[in-house]
Amino acid sequence: MDRVFEFLFKYRPVVFERGDVSFQPPWPLWALLLVVSIGALIALAPYARASAKLRLRDRVALSALRVLALGVLLFCLARPILVVAVVVPQQNFLGILVDNSQSMRIADPDRPRGQIATELFGPESPIVSALSERFKVRFFSFADGAKRIGTLHEVAFDGRRTDLARSLEDVKGELGSLPLAGLIVVTDGGHNTATPLDPALLGLKAGKVPVHVVGLGQERIDREVEVLRADVPTMVMAGSAVAVDVTVGHSGLAGQTVPIRVEDEGRIVGVGQVQLPRDGEAGTTRLNFTAETGGARRLRFVVPPLEGEKIVENNSLDRVVEVQSGRQKILYYEGEPRFEVKFLRRAIEGDENLQVVVLLRTAQDKYLRLDVSDSTELASGFPGTREELFRYKGLVLGSIEASSFPPDQLRMISDFVSRRGGGLLVLGGRNAFAEGGYTGTPLADALPVVIEGPPRGEDYDFFDEVKVVPTPAGSAHPALQLARGGKDPATLWDALPQLSILNPVTEVKPGATLLLEGRGGRGDTYVVLAHHRFGRGKALALLPQDTWMWQMHADVAPEDSTHEALWQQLLRWVVSDVPDPVSITATPDRVEPGTPITFVAQVADSTFLGVNGAEVTATVVAPSGAQESIPMGWTVERDGEYRATFVPKEEGMHEVRVAASRAGNSLGSGTTHMDAGDIGAEFRGPGMRAPLLRSLAEQTGGGFYTAETASRLPEDVSITEAGATVREERDLWDMPALFLLLLGLIGGEWAYRKRRGLP
Amino acid sequence: MRKGVMLGTPGPVAALLFGLLALDWFPAAQPLAAQRFGRRDLMDPYECAELRAAYSGKFTFLRLYYSRPNRAGGYFRRGRGWGWDGWAHDCPVAERHLMTIIEELTSIAPNRDGSNSLAADDPEIFKYPVAYISEPGQWALTDAEALNLRKYLEKGGFLIVDDFNGRDWFNFEEIMLQVLPNAHIVRLDQSHEIFNSFFYIDSLDRLTDPTSYGLPSEFHGIFEDNDPSKRLMVIVNYNNDIGDAWEWSDTGYIPVDLTNEAYKLGINYLVYSMTH
Repeated sequence: MDRVFEFLFKYRPVVFERGDVSFQPPWPLWALLLVVSIGALIALAPYARASAKLRLRDRVALSALRVLALGVLLFCLARPILVVAVVVPQQNFLGILVDNSQSMRIADPDRPRGQIATELFGPESPIVSALSERFKVRFFSFADGAKRIGTLHEVAFDGRRTDLARSLEDVKGELGSLPLAGLIVVTDGGHNTATPLDPALLGLKAGKVPVHVVGLGQERIDREVEVLRADVPTMVMAGSAVAVDVTVGHSGLAGQTVPIRVEDEGRIVGVGQVQLPRDGEAGTTRLNFTAETGGARRLRFVVPPLEGEKIVENNSLDRVVEVQSGRQKILYYEGEPRFEVKFLRRAIEGDENLQVVVLLRTAQDKYLRLDVSDSTELASGFPGTREELFRYKGLVLGSIEASSFPPDQLRMISDFVSRRGGGLLVLGGRNAFAEGGYTGTPLADALPVVIEGPPRGEDYDFFDEVKVVPTPAGSAHPALQLARGGKDPATLWDALPQLSILNPVTEVKPGATLLLEGRGGRGDTYVVLAHHRFGRGKALALLPQDTWMWQMHADVAPEDSTHEALWQQLLRWVVSDVPDPVSITATPDRVEPGTPITFVAQVADSTFLGVNGAEVTATVVAPSGAQESIPMGWTVERDGEYRATFVPKEEGMHEVRVAASRAGNSLGSGTTHMDAGDIGAEFRGPGMRAPLLRSLAEQTGGGFYTAETASRLPEDVSITEAGATVREERDLWDMPALFLLLLGLIGGEWAYRKRRGLP
Repeated sequence: MRKGVMLGTPGPVAALLFGLLALDWFPAAQPLAAQRFGRRDLMDPYECAELRAAYSGKFTFLRLYYSRPNRAGGYFRRGRGWGWDGWAHDCPVAERHLMTIIEELTSIAPNRDGSNSLAADDPEIFKYPVAYISEPGQWALTDAEALNLRKYLEKGGFLIVDDFNGRDWFNFEEIMLQVLPNAHIVRLDQSHEIFNSFFYIDSLDRLTDPTSYGLPSEFHGIFEDNDPSKRLMVIVNYNNDIGDAWEWSDTGYIPVDLTNEAYKLGINYLVYSMTH
């Protein structure tokens, strides 16, 4: 297209873009107009006379063609010129920045990008020779910063990340005081740090330094697959089922299914498959596995290399997961002795990560406490203060009527979820949900299901047995991965015995997720298990009164562990991400050494109200054992939120401890981990990022080139307002386009006349 | 440290009185003429064996019956002939009385509309995790029954063995080992938490059953994996008959103190079985 334009208009578009059109007529304007007017009169005279053969329409058309032809002639006689600023030879500097990152090793289509860069801008390159005739050329290599080099042979293409913004700033800093005609950036477009590009571009625009970009590589690489993201929970409990949504991008593999696995320090802990959608779209799959070992775990999600795949470095993605091995405490408050208590306790008996403290009302004002930590725990019955209740991470409410709670306790339970961030699980029973009088209470607000109606009366006798069926969300939920030993999940659910329901709940709240539903004997469908977020925490409703049937029923083998798996996983999930009063997170959890990482700490008192005036310190323990203390400041944006930035210098897993105190009294402490190392950023989105590069060039007044068009650079770079320049006038009157237009108008008139039968 | 602690007091006055109050609580109080020693509205074993209650999720009493010819007392006898059917003794009055008492005294939701009598190989037994068996001196099981009962106990079922004494032990032990071949039947003392799950029973010495020829009552048990720190699967009332006390609690036939103790044991067994 550019060639056609150049043929018609004599110069390439870029010359017009950067120049100004002007006229330098050889005669005065009045003389020109006089000549043209006389010519017009002579030319139009034949058409002005009335002729029997010519209709008015023909006369107008023929006259217009002749006037236009005269107009073109007048334009040429006015001698149009293009005024452009061109550099003064050898008076200006030109910076050539060559990408030194690992992605330049990618061979697409046939040889590495770095090799192409060397061919284009190496010492023997004609482009460099041409540029050197006009400029003082300075070479730089860049990755996470720019570095002056002699020739491209010094570039190793081993940078692990690309910081284009910082690199441009570096070069501008070095050449900024010199007459700088522009910069040529030779890259595949990777800018994979958090440094924003805009400030660097603003500086270049202010200095009128055009950035010309030579984009290398293909925008789309065929038969390529990449693990784009893995949504791992920040924290899981040891031995818990973990569900991770893994997103896989691709090109040229639409419709294919590829395997994917999860590795924990090289050991495969989970496998799955992902079906790849059409090009340009990513496929997502849910991987379920068990987090067995406590501590900070580096999980790797891997798609094995495909046959013929050029880039395999992006087939894996590492994420850090905190696996808690401590015991999480849950309070189970039950209003009546029933077999759910027994079988729930049995189900979690061997679980070292769960402590379920049972407070069982065995009679009016008579309670049995089980698995308490000491003789004082729950000595006064159900916790009467927020401080006491908020010590637990989870709360299970059984068949206990609302009227047994003072009004503030119901509000307190609601706060337990919304403010404390605890996990609430409400079980079905004769005194639960609407039948227990919870309609319109603060607890009803916290529930994920809609409950209506008054408490159950003496004659209330609703009872239905339901076949439990997982919804699609339930099938994928980590708490409901009950199949063991390679059992087919569908078969497992199908084989489970019916459960019974006393609370006919049929509707979940907007935003809640229905995980299990029950098909009753009368054809009705009931909610069996649903959950939703409520404030900082989560609330679940489990409607059946007898999940123990999945342990005791005649159809269930004694060695079957479905019931144990259900309760262990459900309760683990309930308390899986429940915060402590003081906690800390690192964002992102994996970075390259030298990359800033942000720590955010949440600091609250024992009632989980955010504390703003605390002294908060993060201590980072590097793999070598070196410690660094960083004071954290209140963000002001949210109560109890503190922030600090840290730049890791070492590779490996770093432990981050946070401690908070107020007036010398400890508020608590927390720990997290972050990992520093090669995150393979250079191979994420390995195609050339043309939109970014075009934008970079356009914003600074430069041009975008490919390897094929880079030969135009010497001329284009010369036309610039930057540096020491002179004005150059270039004639436009002899543009082939004008002659062709004139020819066309005259020819058109002739053809029209012929068609109308005129001489 | 993990331990269970009972809150509140057992209500000694109530404990003493409920045996007497049972006269009023029992919904279908019998005419005075019927309230004397002897069989009142007890069922024929054939009728008792037909007792079926629809599953409702409420606590429903399950009585196990046995029907195979068995050996007891040195000679063979038919298990289902009137007069020899120890499994049906006190049926259904004992269970009805017990349901009434637990409804009045506890938060348990009992099924007062009916009870179950099932054979050990009936798959329905798994819907009722507490089972009661009477007079195991006559007890016998087919292999299928023994296997089913083993599964029942392994999965979490709880068995109350009652109403036997003296030489009956040998038959009971033999049958129990048929069910659980590796079982160790161990004697329990008052310190076990089953005796403190609802009522605090401070002594087991007051429970001598008058029909046991003055033999001192003993309490035995079988633990899961024979580990006393684990769940008690079977409670054995030897030289004792708490079912009899439940049955006759609305009469003066059995001393009220003993009736009280029988109810306390029964309630404790149920609360324990629902929590352990």
